[in-house]
Order: sequence, then structure tokens, then C-alpha cells
Amino acid sequence: MNSRFLRLTSRFALAVMLLITLPLQTAQAGLVTTGDIVREQANDRQRVAELLDRAEVRAALEARGVDMNEAKKRVAALTDEEVALIAGKLDEVPAGGDVLGVIVFLFLVLLVTDILGFTKVFPFTRPVR
Amino acid sequence: MAKARLGAGLLLLLLLAGCAGTPQLDALRQAAPALPPRVELTAVPFFPQESHQCGPASLAMAMTFAGRPVTPEALTPRVYLPAREGSLQVEMLAATRRQGLLAYPLAPSLADLLTELAAGHPVIVLQNLGLAALPLWHYAVAIGYDLPQETLLLRSGLTAREVMPLATFEHTWARSGYWAMLALPPDRLPATARESVYVAAAVALEQAGEVEAAQTAYRTALARWPGNFLARMGLGNTAAARGDWREAEAAFRQASLDHPGEWTAHNNLAWALMEQKRWREALEAARQAIALSPGNPQAAETLRRIEAALAPQAPAPGGRKRRQERHGDPTPGT
Repeated sequence: MNSRFLRLTSRFALAVMLLITLPLQTAQAGLVTTGDIVREQANDRQRVAELLDRAEVRAALEARGVDMNEAKKRVAALTDEEVALIAGKLDEVPAGGDVLGVIVFLFLVLLVTDILGFTKVFPFTRPVR
Repeated sequence: MAKARLGAGLLLLLLLAGCAGTPQLDALRQAAPALPPRVELTAVPFFPQESHQCGPASLAMAMTFAGRPVTPEALTPRVYLPAREGSLQVEMLAATRRQGLLAYPLAPSLADLLTELAAGHPVIVLQNLGLAALPLWHYAVAIGYDLPQETLLLRSGLTAREVMPLATFEHTWARSGYWAMLALPPDRLPATARESVYVAAAVALEQAGEVEAAQTAYRTALARWPGNFLARMGLGNTAAARGDWREAEAAFRQASLDHPGEWTAHNNLAWALMEQKRWREALEAARQAIALSPGNPQAAETLRRIEAALAPQAPAPGGRKRRQERHGDPTPGT
């Protein structure tokens, strides 16, 4: 994997993430929440949480040593802005560790999008629908 | 982090020291901000950081100092990504919120960093101790500085009190995009607080489910910026979440007075009044909301509910005086 490939694939992943979070805005009764007022889309978070629920994703994450309950709580504690950041800037967000991890993380995102049928990067994945 | 890698990184750093400037330090030299010459927050505890665990350890030090004692071990599952041998910055912010503390991302400014230290706030910083092309990311906690000596004091790695030249720090900090954050009790305002950044941090706290801490943070924001709409609405929403409809009403009413054009203020005021069964006043507020945002489904639903509640009741016009029909109000006002 060279950096050009990384940049291309991550942009693609970002586009996919944006696409799947666009629709779905239902009217509801009650107080307008602070988050709504900031015009942030809570859908982002829900969709990321749903991705974590899928068995294939769960297995892939657990193989990397990520505890699923913790992963979900992490998503819940992130702001919508940060969810979007994670989704879109995987290859640019540095962690206090190894650069190789970035590639692994990107691999996971592509695996997820593959499984959902949005991409077909890996030969061994089969879309769920 | 391996000592050898760190050593190699520092050696390379020395080789490259002449390549890049230190614009922020230069600016400080030009026009020194009104700061005490020396600051050291000796009360910040020290947790030696094991390999790759600099994120959890740095957080634990700042959180413990902020009055929420926690060990690095307890934080590790929340911020540490085993596959990446490190922690993402966004998760450092998120973990802070889960502890009921306000996570404030600092502006990328050395002057701001020093100002926070002078105000008694330790600062978590992300450094790249390696090179841009060969990064060696590292979190540490800045606890003080010495301006005449041009040094920064850090709790870093296995060193309880690292004395780092400001120039060296700026080089390593620049490569992380000058990333820094505060973990503050929600009743404390950062010395360098910017209105929108602070209020956004309070909203994030509310969204993380820390309602009580978020409410305190909104109050802190309003004490400084009384006209901030988002903070006022947040105060109302957190009060409502705690079942305190009278305080919620007061906040929404203030918001609707300060910002009469915002339909959400009138809509939420209508709900706070409805919860107190003050239907007539609620009706008025709901009509305001729909007038400001015609066709808005949420405002329409608010109005419909109030009208439905009023219809069967059909009170004699003028027969009702201002009665306080409070019920089910578990919390007495503040």
C-alpha cells in the first residue's frame, strides 16, 4: 500500500460515509434538543453504532483487540463532528503509537464498507444484502 | 515507548533543529504576554507511563488533578487502541467527558498554552517526537514553564519532571498540529476560553449523557456570555432532562426574549409550560414557534398537542386566574 492508494481509498471511504448518512430526517414531538439546534445529525452516530453491531465487523475488531462494548461507548461519547472526523480522516488522525496501525484501521473501514456492499476491495467479502 | 526509538528520534531532531524555525517562540520573544515568569503546578500527580500508554496516563494525571481521581489502568480500555498502540485525540476528549469533566481543545498557540498553565490548568499535549515522515506520537502533561530559561515543564513518559527547552517543545508540538486539551471541572472556564468552542464543549458533554456536568458548564458559559443562545437552550434542555420544568421554563423564556426570532426557543418554552399544565401560556408560545417556522412539523406537533389538551376541557373564558398548577415537580427550584 502506498500513500497514494491510501489517500484514494480514504477519500472514497469518506464519500461513502457521507452518502449513507444523508437521508432519514423524521419529525418528532417534544423539545428540540441542543444537538438538533447545533444542526448536527445524530444519524451519523447511530449508523456507526449499527456497523459495530454486525458480526463480521465485531469479529474483525475483536481480532484487533478492541472490546465491542467499549467501542460502542466510545462512539456514544464522541460528538457528531468527531464521528465524522473518524469516518473521514482515518489516515490523517495520528495515534500515540505506530503508523502501521493507520493502515490496519483503514483496512477495517474498507472491510466494513465491503460487507455493506458499498465497495468491493477485498475478494473474500460478500455483501450482506 | 522504546527508549532506543525515543533516543533515535531525539537525535534526528537535533540534526534537524536548524531546518525549521520556531515562529511561536519568536513571537513570544517579540511581545511577551503578561504572564508570571515562572509557573509550576506541583500538585499534578505523576503516573509513570508504560510503553504506548502515554494517552491513558496523561489523562489520568489531568483528571485526578481536576478532582476526578482515576488510574491509567481504568482509562486504558476507553482510549487505547491495541492494534494501533496508541490513543486517538478524539477519544482523549471523549474519555474526559465520560468522567464528567469538560474537554476543551486548546487553540494551537504557545501563548495560550502558557496562559492556561499560569491560570493553574495543566495541559495535555500531543507531540511528535519523531519526524513528520516517521512519526513517534506521544502524549504528555505540561505542568509549568520558566520564561527566563525558556523551558517547559512536563510530566512525560517515565520522567516526573521533564525540563524541555521551549524551542524543542515547539518543534515536537508543531508536528502534531499544535494539539492540546484541558480536562476541567465544568464550573471552571479556561483562561483562553473562546465562546463558540467552550459552548460546543458543553454541548458535547450533554450529548455524552453527563447532564449534570453539562448543566454546570452551560451556567459557567452564561456567566461569561449571558446572551449565548445555544448555552441558554442547553441550560433549559438539561434542566428538562432532570425534570426541573420551572428552571427549564425560565431558561427557554430568557432565550425567547434574547433571541425572539428562534422558533426552537418558543417551541421548547411551550413544552416546559405544557409540562406544568399551563395550557394557555403554552398555546401562546407554540403559536409563536409556528409563526416563526411555518410548516415545521415539530412546531406543528407541539401546537396540535396543546390544542388537543385544551379542546375537551373548554374552560370558561376569563374564569381562570393565574393558577400555578404545578404537579409532579420532583426537584425544588435552585
